[in-house]
This record gives sequence, C-alpha cells and structure tokens, in this order.
Amino acid sequence: MVLLSRVAESLYWMSRNVERAETLARILDVNYNRTVDRNAAGRERAVRVWRSVFDMAGISADVELLDGASLASAAFERCTFSTEYRTSIVSCIRIARSNALSVRAELSTEVWECINGLYLFVEAQSPRSVAREGPSSFLRSVRDTAQAFGGIVDATVSHDDEWNFLQIGRYLERSAMTARILRNHDFSDESAHEWQRLLEMCCASEPFAKAQRLSSDPNEALSFLFLHRSFPRSIRFCTHEVDRALHRISETAMGAYSNEAERVTGRLQAMLDFVQIGEILDEGGDRFAARFAERADAIGTAIQASYFPRVPVG
Amino acid sequence: MWMKCGEGGGKQASPSLRTVVRLDTGPSEGSGAGRRPETMQPLLDQYQRVDFFDEFADELGVPRAHYAGLAQTLRTIDIAEFRHRVDLVNSVLLQRGVTFTVYSDSRGTERILPFDLIPRIVPGNEWSLIKRGIAQRVTALNAFLGDIYGAQRILHEGRISAEMVFSSKFYNREMIGFRVPRDVYIHVSGCDLIRGRDGTYYVLEDNLRTPSGISYVLENRDVLKRSFPRLFENYQPLPVDDYPRRLLDALRHSAPAGVSDPTVVLLTPGIYNSAYFEHTVLARRMGVELVEAGDLLVHDNIVFMKTTKGLQRVDVIYRRIDDDFLDPLAFKADSTLGVTGLMNAYRAGHVGIANAVGTGVADDKAIYPFVPDIIRFYLGEEPILPNVPTYDCTDDLQRRYVTSHLDELVVKNTNQSGGYGMLMGPSSSTIERARFKEAIEAYPRDFIAQPIIPLSCHPTIVGETLAPRHIDLRPFVLMNEEVDVPPTALTRVALTDGSLVVNSSQGGGSKDTWILDD
Repeated sequence: MVLLSRVAESLYWMSRNVERAETLARILDVNYNRTVDRNAAGRERAVRVWRSVFDMAGISADVELLDGASLASAAFERCTFSTEYRTSIVSCIRIARSNALSVRAELSTEVWECINGLYLFVEAQSPRSVAREGPSSFLRSVRDTAQAFGGIVDATVSHDDEWNFLQIGRYLERSAMTARILRNHDFSDESAHEWQRLLEMCCASEPFAKAQRLSSDPNEALSFLFLHRSFPRSIRFCTHEVDRALHRISETAMGAYSNEAERVTGRLQAMLDFVQIGEILDEGGDRFAARFAERADAIGTAIQASYFPRVPVG
Repeated sequence: MWMKCGEGGGKQASPSLRTVVRLDTGPSEGSGAGRRPETMQPLLDQYQRVDFFDEFADELGVPRAHYAGLAQTLRTIDIAEFRHRVDLVNSVLLQRGVTFTVYSDSRGTERILPFDLIPRIVPGNEWSLIKRGIAQRVTALNAFLGDIYGAQRILHEGRISAEMVFSSKFYNREMIGFRVPRDVYIHVSGCDLIRGRDGTYYVLEDNLRTPSGISYVLENRDVLKRSFPRLFENYQPLPVDDYPRRLLDALRHSAPAGVSDPTVVLLTPGIYNSAYFEHTVLARRMGVELVEAGDLLVHDNIVFMKTTKGLQRVDVIYRRIDDDFLDPLAFKADSTLGVTGLMNAYRAGHVGIANAVGTGVADDKAIYPFVPDIIRFYLGEEPILPNVPTYDCTDDLQRRYVTSHLDELVVKNTNQSGGYGMLMGPSSSTIERARFKEAIEAYPRDFIAQPIIPLSCHPTIVGETLAPRHIDLRPFVLMNEEVDVPPTALTRVALTDGSLVVNSSQGGGSKDTWILDD
C-alpha cells in the first residue's frame, strides 16, 4: 500500500484539528454555562476561568479587556469565531477541511461529506446567529459531528497506514488537550465545583463516577485523568495509542524503536506506565501537565521529521 | 419567442409545502390528463419550442419518438415538485463538494456547476454515427501527431503548410523524433459537438489536451438517479460508471515497454485548480494516487513518488497540467506545478505521460479547418462528422471576407479556449469589432472565424418554467489499442436566455445525458 508523505501529513493535521475543535467545543460549553449565570460579584472568578480557557484554546488575548457586561459571550465568541488565531473552532474546522480537500481522493466519501458538512455548517453561522440560540446547541452540533467524524473514520477507512496517521493525530491532540486542561487546573482548590468542572471538560465525570464509586478523593480524579489505563482521554491511554499506531506503521516490535518519533513516544509511555500519582503531585500536577504538553509537542516534531520530511525544493 | 425567466411563476405557495401535498397523493402514473390533481400545473404545459432545432419536439411541437416516454413522465410532475427536487439536488452537490473554482474574484470561489434536471437523450442510431465519427477523427489526429513529430509526410506532400504547423504555439520541439509508448498521443479527449438548424451534428472543437467535465457526467447520473428516480421510467440509458475502469486501462496501456503491472498516478496542479474536484473523483474511482508536483521527483531519469515508506517508482502519469508547466527544466522555468527532469525521463522511455506532450498542435484552432483533409490523408476516408465551415485568416481572400463581415461571424483566438478571447459578431459593439479587425490584420495566424451556428435547443428548467436553451455535447473518448468511445457524454447548456456560450466559466450548466442502446 502506498501512502504519499504529503497525504499522511494532511491526514494527521486534519485529524488533530477535528479533535481540537471537539475538545474546545466541550470546554466552552462547560465554562459558558458556569459563568453566564454569575452576577457582577463573580466577575473576578469569571475572569480567572476565561483566562484559563484562553490558555487551553491557545488564544493570547487579554480577558480583562473583554466587555464586562457579557464576558462569557465575548470570550465565547473569541474562542469560536476568531480567525486571527489558528486555534479557534472556526479556524480548526477550516484547516481540517482544507486538509481534507487536499487529500480528497484518499478519503472515503463518508469522511469527506462529514467534514465538508461540518465546514458548511460553521461557515453558515455568525456570532449573531449563535447568540440568538445560545451557544449550547451550536457547540453541541460541532461536538457531535466531530465525534461522528471519529466513528466514520473507524468504520469506513481501512485500518492500515492512512488510518494509523489519523489515529496518531487524534490521540496526540487529545493528550495535549487533556494536558492543557490539567495545566490550568488550580490544584489548591479542592471544592467539588472545581473538580466537577475539570472532569466535565475532559468528558470524564460519568466514567469517573462509575470507576470510583462515590470517591471524593481529588487524587483519585487526578490519577484518572493522568494515568487511567482505559479511559480514552487519559494522558496515558492517548500516549499508548500514539505509540501503538507508530509501531503499526513501522512494523517494529512494541518496546523497541526504529525512528526518533518512536523513541520519544516510547520513553514517555514507559514513564507514564510506571510513575505514581504521588510523584506527580509532589512535582505539582500543573507542572507535570505542562512538562507533558512539551513532550507531546516533541513527539509531533519527531513525527514530522520521520514521516513528512521537508525536502528542499529547487 | 423566448419565454422570459420567471414569467408565469412566482405566485405559488411555498414549494416544499406543495410538494408534501403532492407526495401524499401518491405517485402519479400514466399520462391521462384526467388523473391530475386539480391544483397541479405540469411543467410540460408551458413549453414552447422556438425556431431552432429542438431536441425534444419536432416542428409541430410533438415530442420526438425517443423523448415520448420522458414527455409522458413530465406531464405528471408539477413545477413545485421540480423546484423541490432542484433544491434537494443542489444541496447534495454542495455537500459532496461537486464544485469548480471561479477565478473572477480574488478568493477563487467554489461553486456548483448548475445542474439541470431535465435529461438530454441521444438515441442509439445517432450515437452510433457519433461514435464512428469520433473514432475516425481521433485516429486520424493521432496519426497526424505521430507524423508531424516524425517523418512529416503530410508537410512534405504539401497537404498542410509547414508554416501553419511550426508556428503553432502548441507545437513542441522537444517531441521531434521521439516515439511515444505504443504510438498513442491522445489517450483522453473530449470533442465538442453541436447541431445545426437541420439537426446535423458538427464537430466544433477537438479538445485534445486536458478536457474536463467527465466528473459531471459521473456525478450527474448518480445524483439524478438518487434524487429523481421517476424520470428514469421508460428508459434504460447506457451506464456511465464504467468510464474510470476504461480510462485506467487506457493509461496502463501507455506504460513503458516491459512494465507488466504499471503504477499510474494522476498529477494535479492542486486544490486551487478549477477542475480539482474532477481530479479527486477520477483518482478515487480508478484507485490511483492523486499527486502534486511536490510529491514526485526524478532521479537518474526515473520518476518516483515520495511515500511514508520511501520512494516508489511511477510508470504512467495522467497529467492534468498543461505542457508548459510540466517540467521547469524543459519549459517554463518558473513553474512550480511541474517536476524537474520529467521530460528527460519521458524521452528516455522510463515513464508514460497521458496525454502525450505536444498534442495541442492538433487541436490548435488554426489547424482545425484542415482536419477533414487530415482524415482523408491518413485514412483515405471521407469525414463522417462534418466540420463547422471555418475561415482561415492567413488566407488573404478569406481574411478580407472575415474583416468585412465581422457582425455576422464568431471570431476565435487560436491561443485561447473556454470561451475567452471570442467575438460574437451579432452582439458585439462597433468598438469591439474595430479592435478585432485590427488584431486580425496584425496577427492573422491567431484568429479563425466561423458563421454562427444556431445551436440546438433543449427544454430546461428556468425559474418556475420550462424553456428552450441552447446545448452542445461533449463525448469523452479514450485511446487504448484503438479508439474507445464509452457512452459518457456531457451536455452543456447555456442558461442565459438566447446565449450560445455553454462554457461553465461563462454561466453554463450541465445535463445528465442518456445514451440509448441501438
């Protein structure tokens, strides 16, 4: 089976951007609903919340400068429609669709129509049209379609290298997003409200409740998000999926490596397999998460160098 | 007279509402007028043919035999239902991304090619004539190309002037003395056929470089079958989905000698090309890689593509890029769409390129008037399909006639296509005619002129009515061991009232084209 480097790269970025749009939509939904009903007295807290959301979203604007009367709406609009940032929802979907277009011939019709439909949907929306309905239904549509995208990919793309690169994009982005969420968590605030917000942003509140019946130990929740073996958004699970996809591509045995991407991923994987939650908390959960996010970036760079090398033109 | 767009309509209730009612009354059947629901306003009732050859109805307004079945169906469908189907189809096309890019604004907007739901029908006897006529023409033009890049017999014998051939912008010196794999130059072509006032089919252009539109043939049929199966009652048009396989066969046939299982790729200029959607359709349906120039490299005169598992050899390139951009080493040095060293690999016999480089000279508009002679010269046969009468502006007498009759003629620039650089005499201004006259006298080789052929008309949905609109026919032709004419043809329709220009870049649309068995 032949897979052009350019095509692999586009598939990888398409997948990353869809995943990012999906996570971002969930983050916005959780936080919008939690700050929209706060009165003026809660402004300080709302500012703190949106500042952390901007960091997760990769938006560098100053929250303080946003309109105080409707902070939640202004912040939502920035994270969703801003085209000056490549990380807003609209930007992510545009990039994903343009990646999809450049590999249109390789995609199943179902995958293409899903991403094209998502693109046409968000392009038809405006801050005003979304404000009229309230952001929730818009964000839900984005999330649902982005999740359906993953399912359509799994069900209509042969599980060989094209799919493997899609998997890498999906899980690398997902681990990075979980890390960005954790990086912004205030580990000193042990209120149930904060824990619930954290779990919801990671789509983890129900799985966690199920796995840890009635546990109110914050460390359990942290351990769930960092190190759970089978929760599909835990950092450890996602890294493991990236590692496995890389090894399926190169056909190298797990535990060994044949290129830099596999080496850095394998090392990170081993650390996550054997580290204990106590050690993470000793270092500081936010600091550990930030360090992980850097390593996830390094994996991305290594994948780029191993599989989509830039050959000088000319 | 022409019916004006929107006349007689516009007073209807919401189309979708009416359609629901219509659907609830159950499928109508037969043609009996008595069965119509009271509120129904059949589309066909308003159709009035005009004084051109009408594909659908004869001089008395009676549907022709091969349209009788469709007429019967149309009598049972009303305007509101049609509007509803049109909306449905447009949204499907948009979702699928069946679009082309328009360059008139800086952004390069994606648009769907307007698709008219009333199919065009070509009866079996007409198709078999077309088939033989095209096969003859492409065979002769292929021989012509082999000759002018080889022994140049036709030039030595003075049947066509050497100056005319060598002065063609599309004559490619790189190709002289090079024998292309299996002697095939024209793997893919799509000539434009039009019908005159008496219904005679004429060849208007040969389009031997990279004619586009086949994806619309494939998509139109698919969409129409899904969204409006009732139209197919009484008909079994020849299927079109075999085209990609036949194209792949033709491409594999042009692999360098000795390659038993050739790797074929489709080379596209990229997502900003107006026909990019078509490139993706063809690559996907053939199961070949769609590559951009940056995906290929030439090493030691061998073409490779860059894959995640390293370099892999490429044997045949179906290129959808013009000659000029193919190889910056041989042609335009600043081309970023091309592959450095490709011409050397080609000339070394290590890769097949379809269509061959340099085919453009055979569909140069200035060579076109000589095609009947080309057929006689190489095949010893009379042309089956006639040319449109054409004035050669390099001939003094003919040029004088052209420049004094510009208001009756259509003048075409031999270096341009797609409806650009044209003068439509009757609708032109005095200033435009003066400008063309000056240009023709300065550069006679760059212009041809033809009388205006009143293209045939076909019922077409225009707003809320059915009105005649001018059409042409572009069959897509392949060349394998010999010429292969699959039953795949695109009907383009000029949607603007009275317009004779069917190009998609100039406001044309398309129709599904049903070719019937003999």
